[in-house]
Amino acid sequence: MAFRELLVEVGCEEMPAGWIPGLEVQLAERLAARLAEARIAARTPIRAFVGPRRLVATVAELADRQSDLEETITGPPVRAAFDAEGEPTRAALGFARKQGVDVSALARVVTPKGEYLACHRRLAGRTTRSLLGGVLAATLRALSFPKAMRWDATLDDGRGEFLFGRPVRWLVFLFGGRVVPFAIGRTPGAAATGVAPIRSGDTTCGHRFFARDGGPGQPIEVTSFADYRQRLARAYVLIDRGERRARVTRKLDACARRVGGTVAPIETQSDLAREVPDLVEYPSVVTGTFPHEFLELPDEVLSTTMVHHQHYFPVVDAGGELLPHFLAVTNTPRDNVARIARNAERVLVARLRDARFFWDADRALRLEDRLDRLDTLLFHKRLGSYRAKSERTADLAERIAGETLGRPAAAGAARRAGALSKADLATDMVGEFPELQGIMGGVYARGEGEPERVWKAIYHHYLPVGVRPGDPPSRDELGAAAVTWAAVSIADKLDTVVGLFGAGEKPTGSRDPLGIRRQAQGMLRILIDLPELTGLKARATIGSLLAMGRGTHAELAAEGAGRMAAFLLERLRYLLEERGFDLRNVRAVTHQPLDEIRPLDARRKLEVLPALTETSDFRTLAALFKRVKNIARELSAAEAFDAPFEALLTEPAERALLAEVERRRTVIDRAVERGSGFREAFGAAAKIGPAVDRFFTEVFVMADDPQLRHARLRLMKQVEQLILQLADVSEIVPEA
Amino acid sequence: MTLQDLILTLSRFWSERGCLIQQPLDVEVGAGTMHPETFLRVLGPRHWSVAYVQPSRRPADGRFGENPNRLFKHHQFQVILKPSPDGAQRIYLDSLEACGIDPTRHDVRFEEDNWESPTLGAWGIGWQVLLDGLEITQFTYFQQAGGIDLAPISVELTYGLERIAMHLQGVDDVYDLQWAPGVSYGEVRHREEVEQSKYAFGEVDLPAGEFGRAHRDLFDRYYELAERLLASGLTLPALDHTLKCSHAFNLLDASGSIGVTERAAYILRVRKLAVAIAEAHVAWERDHHAAGEGAVATADGQARVDPGAERTAAGQAGGA
Repeated sequence: MAFRELLVEVGCEEMPAGWIPGLEVQLAERLAARLAEARIAARTPIRAFVGPRRLVATVAELADRQSDLEETITGPPVRAAFDAEGEPTRAALGFARKQGVDVSALARVVTPKGEYLACHRRLAGRTTRSLLGGVLAATLRALSFPKAMRWDATLDDGRGEFLFGRPVRWLVFLFGGRVVPFAIGRTPGAAATGVAPIRSGDTTCGHRFFARDGGPGQPIEVTSFADYRQRLARAYVLIDRGERRARVTRKLDACARRVGGTVAPIETQSDLAREVPDLVEYPSVVTGTFPHEFLELPDEVLSTTMVHHQHYFPVVDAGGELLPHFLAVTNTPRDNVARIARNAERVLVARLRDARFFWDADRALRLEDRLDRLDTLLFHKRLGSYRAKSERTADLAERIAGETLGRPAAAGAARRAGALSKADLATDMVGEFPELQGIMGGVYARGEGEPERVWKAIYHHYLPVGVRPGDPPSRDELGAAAVTWAAVSIADKLDTVVGLFGAGEKPTGSRDPLGIRRQAQGMLRILIDLPELTGLKARATIGSLLAMGRGTHAELAAEGAGRMAAFLLERLRYLLEERGFDLRNVRAVTHQPLDEIRPLDARRKLEVLPALTETSDFRTLAALFKRVKNIARELSAAEAFDAPFEALLTEPAERALLAEVERRRTVIDRAVERGSGFREAFGAAAKIGPAVDRFFTEVFVMADDPQLRHARLRLMKQVEQLILQLADVSEIVPEA
Repeated sequence: MTLQDLILTLSRFWSERGCLIQQPLDVEVGAGTMHPETFLRVLGPRHWSVAYVQPSRRPADGRFGENPNRLFKHHQFQVILKPSPDGAQRIYLDSLEACGIDPTRHDVRFEEDNWESPTLGAWGIGWQVLLDGLEITQFTYFQQAGGIDLAPISVELTYGLERIAMHLQGVDDVYDLQWAPGVSYGEVRHREEVEQSKYAFGEVDLPAGEFGRAHRDLFDRYYELAERLLASGLTLPALDHTLKCSHAFNLLDASGSIGVTERAAYILRVRKLAVAIAEAHVAWERDHHAAGEGAVATADGQARVDPGAERTAAGQAGGA
């Protein structure tokens, strides 16, 4: 079999930068899958390259024929195929006719159900060239986009209209250097001059404006992937993302050095650095400068303006201070085109001038004096204004700091931060840059002389947004405000979740317009990661917080309480699952009512569980625990401990189980009480497993003697209660 | 190039490419999209290409004539091409060259920016076009209007006239723009900006709360009237009054007279009207432009524009 090179380029209008990394992976995978389905062998890897205006895939060595298919088609059973005289029956004749052969040519196969007539067939593979059109159509259909668009296009694959991420404008489709015929059709309703099918060919387009080969917009003929890549590079298109990224990094560093600095290492910028190489086909960098006076603006405002609004990189000096320069990545052949730099400066300065106007105007009024304005900003029609919300947040933050987190000394500062937390919503800066909410409040509070535990609590109180360990904020960033931050952040979210649920707003399916899920997750994450985030050891239950929240929404609390409990449990499980914990384990450690679930304990249990669930003792216990629960259900929890019963248990197996329970109780109780030592506790619980097994083998619980029966039920109840404190291990029944 | 030269250049450019040159809608709107030449023409199968200037009022952007970049009212040059030609981007870039912007001397980029108008039940896929970091145009492939899936797909180009003129003239303050030789933008429009901003932000001699009440009242009256007009089969007047609702809502919003959830309720109400109007229009088109009724298309003036006429004919074939 011969092998030839496949080259596909789907030329399109500018694809969103954020989609490009995912598309590149998809393209290679989908094409590989479709080729495999079509039985076309690739001797070399399938490579994909995606940029703003093209999706490219190539295989250096692809078989030029489909592999043959050998198949056996089973017909009627032999006993039904021939009559008493040995003549073929109608069944046999029919089968042979359908297969297009004579009965005498049919084979026999032996199956577990008996002997059958069969027809062996060998389907010779078709040429790859004749199949590639179908492969490309199926590959294009299989690409998924965060948002696909309609553009009056169709594919001739029986499925009609063809949606894609952006309109396709040209197609290179070569196999062994020859064009494979293919077309994307257009809907009849769009047929007009200037609307035509897109037909495959051997010509591509270079950079939109700077192609050297043939000039901008002129087609570039290609014969192979190597030729294609080289010609495009000459036409100012780098198809390889890695190459574009490396070029961006190199040029940014060089340009920053030239103005005596380095590219600012701020957090948000990593997103920018990831995105920029996919915004351009041929990255270059221009350095811009803005007047010194704007450096008086807070770094957050400068960075937001540069990074979020303009996609510019800020530059810092050796001490990490912002310099009055920025770097813009352009889609041009040359660096530092003066005209482009001047224009970029004008755009940035206009925005900074706005920002400075807001900065000056906002500081004329203290945050505290803005609380009146919050009265006019409605949070929710049943929950009142943002002023009312701030007041509830202040009350809750004070109680959470003192009671939930056990830091009464921080309660006053938490209250203060809570009261001022929403004041920046009434500032012009946040009106203009909504993404700076909280941050500006913190910056203004700092300027007004509020202590760190207050201003930083305001600054970060919308966090956490991310739910993974290590997502911001970090303990270092929080500094002296760790406790007050946790209190205000929980208070704000608790008030929102309880209030909105009470007001009848609840997320359904994919709809969560008010972001209640994210709020609930933020709150739960603080509880789960409290030691890492704040250094505190508090192990609050979800129930205790809810009780506080309901206190502030007394008039609404009754509505939706049950639904909210189910919602919070579901969010907690989601969060824990997101961390990679096994769903069965997650269910096992969150089986209690919300009043008893301590998210931090749940996480600690989950961290030790995987190592234990593989031991045979644990598996024994888990397998039998459902039966323990079923039997124990006969008694209430209170009945299990009401009077001594041990003397009634005389069988060796029940004595042994009793002894095992007593021996293990201390370790388990201590772990549950302290919220630590769960590894030992689960180990101890597992040890009970074999004793339970023996008990079930040797002892009949439902004895005729009512007293004895009662004593045995109580033993079961004790086993159940002891283990349930840790987890409902029946959820963790290992797969057989 | 003066602001009026820019308008003339773009009008000439698009007229030469088969667009009907329409005039602004004489009702207050926030964007050229709300003009029936866009909102209604993109619906249904009939091909249509049109361009016009649309003065666009955004009460919340009013800055009392004090901000060099922000205006209560700015001007959009709006182009609709239906169906969207394959070379839409190229033709658009040619229009920039016609205005004196040579893309090879700049960094011209198409960056993702999908457009959505919740009040019109309309959305599209597209980009903002950046010229050395300055947003000069919104480029959108319409996908839905009035909640109805569109076929064929129209492309909408919305040029920000002030911004492009500022770039061309190299001025940093919109009021310094030359509208015509020797006449500044400030001379033409500054007073209007000051007065309209005061109005938009409720600096009106009225008892407390009265400003909001008056506009809520206007909203309700326009709304009821729009509903009656629609029920009477008068789709275009119904659209006018829906747009008046939308503007009254924008004024309420800018003056801080409505809260967050109330806001959502207002948007939903306007959207309901917009959807009903779109449906009524599609039904009207179906009844009046059945296959073969070429005379209607000719009568409304489109046949005078050659490429457009060709499109119309093809569109009817497609819609038949």
